[in-house]
Amino acid sequence: MEVKRAKLGKDLAKIVGTEHVFTDKPTSVVYAKDTMPWDVEEEIVPHAVVRPANSKEVSGILRYANRKLIPVHIHGSGTSLVGLSRPKAKGIVLDTGRMKAIRIYPERGYFEVEPGMHVAEVKKALAKYKAMLPVFPGSELVATIGGTIAVNTSAHGVDAALGKPGDFILGLEVVLPTGEVIQTGTESTRRPAGIDPTKFFIGSEGLLGVLTLLRMRLIPAPYFQPLVAYYKTTEDILQTVMEMYKRAIFPPLFFEFLDEKAAKIGYEAVGLPEPMGAVAMMRIHSWSKAGSEEQARNFLEFLKTGNPVEARIVTDPGDWDTIWSSRAEAGNYMYRLGMTFGSEISPRVDKLIDAFQEAKSIILNLDSYKGNEFISFGHIGAPTIHAYAFVRTKEIPNELKKAITIEMREKSEELNVKYGGCGGEWGLTAQRVSFLKKKYEPELYELLVKLKQTLDPNDILNRGNLQGWI
Amino acid sequence: MDIEDQEATRGTLLAEIGKCRACRFCVDACAVYQATEGVESMAPYGRLQIIKYLLNGMLDEDDPIVYSLYSCLQCGRCDRICKSKGQNLEVSGLIRLGKYLLSHGLVKGGRSEEV
Repeated sequence: MEVKRAKLGKDLAKIVGTEHVFTDKPTSVVYAKDTMPWDVEEEIVPHAVVRPANSKEVSGILRYANRKLIPVHIHGSGTSLVGLSRPKAKGIVLDTGRMKAIRIYPERGYFEVEPGMHVAEVKKALAKYKAMLPVFPGSELVATIGGTIAVNTSAHGVDAALGKPGDFILGLEVVLPTGEVIQTGTESTRRPAGIDPTKFFIGSEGLLGVLTLLRMRLIPAPYFQPLVAYYKTTEDILQTVMEMYKRAIFPPLFFEFLDEKAAKIGYEAVGLPEPMGAVAMMRIHSWSKAGSEEQARNFLEFLKTGNPVEARIVTDPGDWDTIWSSRAEAGNYMYRLGMTFGSEISPRVDKLIDAFQEAKSIILNLDSYKGNEFISFGHIGAPTIHAYAFVRTKEIPNELKKAITIEMREKSEELNVKYGGCGGEWGLTAQRVSFLKKKYEPELYELLVKLKQTLDPNDILNRGNLQGWI
Repeated sequence: MDIEDQEATRGTLLAEIGKCRACRFCVDACAVYQATEGVESMAPYGRLQIIKYLLNGMLDEDDPIVYSLYSCLQCGRCDRICKSKGQNLEVSGLIRLGKYLLSHGLVKGGRSEEV
């Protein structure tokens, strides 16, 4: 169907106001670009970017899009690492950026936030009430709260220590793909038992509706105790994680690691002496200071049973800041020097070492590129293996970038299938639809398609993400 | 600016902007982005992308491009964010170079700019 930009712009302006509709191509290109390392394709550059202020305007846009059969792609901040943010069909980009109000009700035990507020800003607002937001993405400066709940990502956090952010959602306001506005859930801190539709929308990746208000329980900010442990090899850390789960030891909320190469890079970057091998760093949380100290002591005793070169509770906040920042600096070094092609493997925990070693072998023997390096760091306690192919140049043609991305995805997903995992951080579309089809019975994917068709008969919202991409 | 310098400037811009990972960490630091309630083409990230797609031929020079690039206040706050959390690009300097090419009529966009 041919769409005339000028007419579309006028029609959308009637819903949201002239100043909140953009039909110029430069703005459309900027919104279409995401973190995928290749350029925006001409055929998906949106006709328009529209920036509604509330659910009524979102509803108006979706009703209009259904009448005109124009796809609508939801935009938070475009930080997805698996291509969720890039439109797959030419249409309208719906930017949630103007919906960013927050209301905090300590007397009710919850807060309400609109989807476009950036995670770091939500955290800042909650800190005044000594409350914690259970969302920990590396992109928190700009990632939106709506996007994190739409993916239900625990990001850097260890699920077994706290849960997914969706576990704390009490209710939602959702605009269905056909434009109806619904409220779900409760205003009590006691979540509904039984078939609560709130759960259908948490983690639905924008396929089933647009989240326009999130009601989330206030979580008291915990006390943290930091620990660092040095090991001869990465395998020693993997073994420690496996033992932690096997012995039913309560895990830290953060359990990060740097493999031998990442540790060397990260420590050098922050001015610390080069470690002998791999490094694990943890943050133990508890709701009392004494509790956190006791848990840290207990966890240190457990760590010592795994034969670290050294393990200790870090008491000086300045020292801890330096140690902790080495992890981010290891990433920065790679991202600046060349290109990284990542993976997200979350194996059954008793298979952690097997999965890690196979991931390493796969990455060192890529068909699409020769001469890359292997490096790994991240949330190993989750357990998540972020195994990276590191290429020491940025001068790679778009098609080769795609080829490496596809090979990394296909082969790392085979490990998720083989070892019983399915991720836990990046979401299950758009690039990962092939994984869904490999891992589960065909009926599971058909169920998702039927669910989508039921709520979105014209396939308006985030078209292409459930069909699979690249 | 002679043609060699112009080509060097274009090369520098494409190589440097090619390093941008579109992380968008810089956007909140931009006063213009804040003033527009978060329009990404009015943010450092957006300006870099616009220069890139202008130089590689996908975009044509037009008023929105001029508006976006010339709305940059050259305050340099994006540079600091990119240095600590991004690709260590001198974002404001790249935007300044892009404006220079535009203001001297050295870039037109469209197919003639394809590289």
